[in-house]
Amino acid sequence: MFAAFVQGPLVRLIPVGMLLLALQRTLFVDLQVSGVIIQLMMATAAAAGVAGGSERGAVAGFVFGVMFDLAEGTPLGSTATAFTIAGVVGGLLALIAADPQWWLNALFTGLGTAAGALMIPVVRLFIGEPEPFQDRLAIVVPVVAISAAIMSPLLVPLARWCLRLKRPEWTRPIGDASTREA
Amino acid sequence: MAIYSVGRKRVILALLLTTVLFLTLDLRGNPVIDRAREGFSAALSPVQSATQVVTNPLERAWHGITNYDDLEQENLALQEQVDRLIGTQAAAEAAVIEGKELQALYSLPSLSGIDTEVARVVGYAANNLDQVIEIDKGSRSGIEIGMPVVNQAGLVGKVTQVSPNSARVMLVTDARYSIAVKVTSSDQGFADAPTDTTPSGLDPQLVADAATTTTVPPALVPGITGPDGLPIPATTLPGASANDPFVDATGRRLTPAEIVALADSLSTSTTSVPTDSVPGGSLPGVVSPTTTTTTLPIIEKEYGALEGRGRLRLPQIRFLQDSPSLAVLQVGDLVETAGGSESLAPPGIPVGRVLNRANRPGSGGPLLDVELNADLGRLNFIRVVLYKPLSEVGQ
Repeated sequence: MFAAFVQGPLVRLIPVGMLLLALQRTLFVDLQVSGVIIQLMMATAAAAGVAGGSERGAVAGFVFGVMFDLAEGTPLGSTATAFTIAGVVGGLLALIAADPQWWLNALFTGLGTAAGALMIPVVRLFIGEPEPFQDRLAIVVPVVAISAAIMSPLLVPLARWCLRLKRPEWTRPIGDASTREA
Repeated sequence: MAIYSVGRKRVILALLLTTVLFLTLDLRGNPVIDRAREGFSAALSPVQSATQVVTNPLERAWHGITNYDDLEQENLALQEQVDRLIGTQAAAEAAVIEGKELQALYSLPSLSGIDTEVARVVGYAANNLDQVIEIDKGSRSGIEIGMPVVNQAGLVGKVTQVSPNSARVMLVTDARYSIAVKVTSSDQGFADAPTDTTPSGLDPQLVADAATTTTVPPALVPGITGPDGLPIPATTLPGASANDPFVDATGRRLTPAEIVALADSLSTSTTSVPTDSVPGGSLPGVVSPTTTTTTLPIIEKEYGALEGRGRLRLPQIRFLQDSPSLAVLQVGDLVETAGGSESLAPPGIPVGRVLNRANRPGSGGPLLDVELNADLGRLNFIRVVLYKPLSEVGQ
């Protein structure tokens, strides 16, 4: 069990999550665009989905979300649900392309983050908070998604390292004409 | 690239169900989760402090780039405001002292008698929905959940979570925030009032007469006392000599019966006129040693519930009705906490000023947008008012 834990993704996800959480609560609270706080952790969860698929994205989103809820004092599980959805959506979108270019990764990360940002008021509505859907959501979601897309060239490799993934390498199949020539 | 399969679906479903389980446990209150929060905050604290130090230059550079013009304009506006405030400071201090004396005289509750704890704001909410700040004082400083938080300008919010060395404060603008407030008339409101009437309903000439200052020493009627047991000042009839108050206009000396009848009419008349506007000594024909000034009373117009509406939106007051016989709610009216035995805040904490009024059809009553006195975007030091509702004090 210990070996499984050490070789699993949590060993890297938790310390990286702590660092990202610290950045989220300090630097990114101040670096607001149009009054919107950029969601670094949610973007990383979506990037994990893009890099490793929906399952790994969900795991990363769940871990980051629980950490976020514990630190922020929000109802435990509310942000975790949204981050998990962000990872799942990022992973599902990444199925579209077998070996996506960087800009496709950026697009998928942005869309995954947008899905997560939309999930937060949905969850808050379910737990009975008043007026979770505000007009400002029309600004919040695009800003959060675009910023996540811009950060994705950094976040996707980071997520890949956290999840112990290697970039897929495509080789010619055995028996291919060009291979025989070589 | 990952392949989507049934097994992966189960993992995702399990994670989502776990979040629902966490939500259920946390919303019902769970000490294990509370301890986990405190432990995680303690573990994160050094990482966050180090990150703050490292990223501080970046933050400053960002603010330097994005806020320079705003800062310059704000400095000019603030300078103008400071100049104006210096001019009114002396009058305000005198009014505060007078107000405190009056509160002490009538044993009214006030903030001056309640302990406060000064704390520093160490963090803001990292999401785009909640309006919450974190402060560097907690239960070790006597802070408890529900206590109101203020700054020099007015109400800021209330404490919602407490750990030994820190606490979270829900700001007034949070959509979950609600507190009982009262709407009072403002100086602006009086300036707009018709000039031939006064708010108390008294004749304007009577109020003007009340403002006159008299310095004649009191002459007491020997052997006659008022209802409160104190000697009644002597009276001067119209045209009488000031040297001998017991002589009428024709020079005839009053009889003891006439003096007693006059004293009775004095005590009766005094109780029929509001004492804050017209002192007893200013009744027609009565000379009093009292020095009076014309102070227009503040009218409590209506009580309602102030509710936050989220970031960048003004809080609103609901559950209001106009009362034409007293006053109409209007832009510029002052808003302060109402207090009450179960209210989390004591009465009299200034909240803000009415900025907009929206009328609703039917019996809904108007909605009032409130511009807060406190600038919640620039909180640095705040005070936690160590106040417990009266209903909890006895427990």
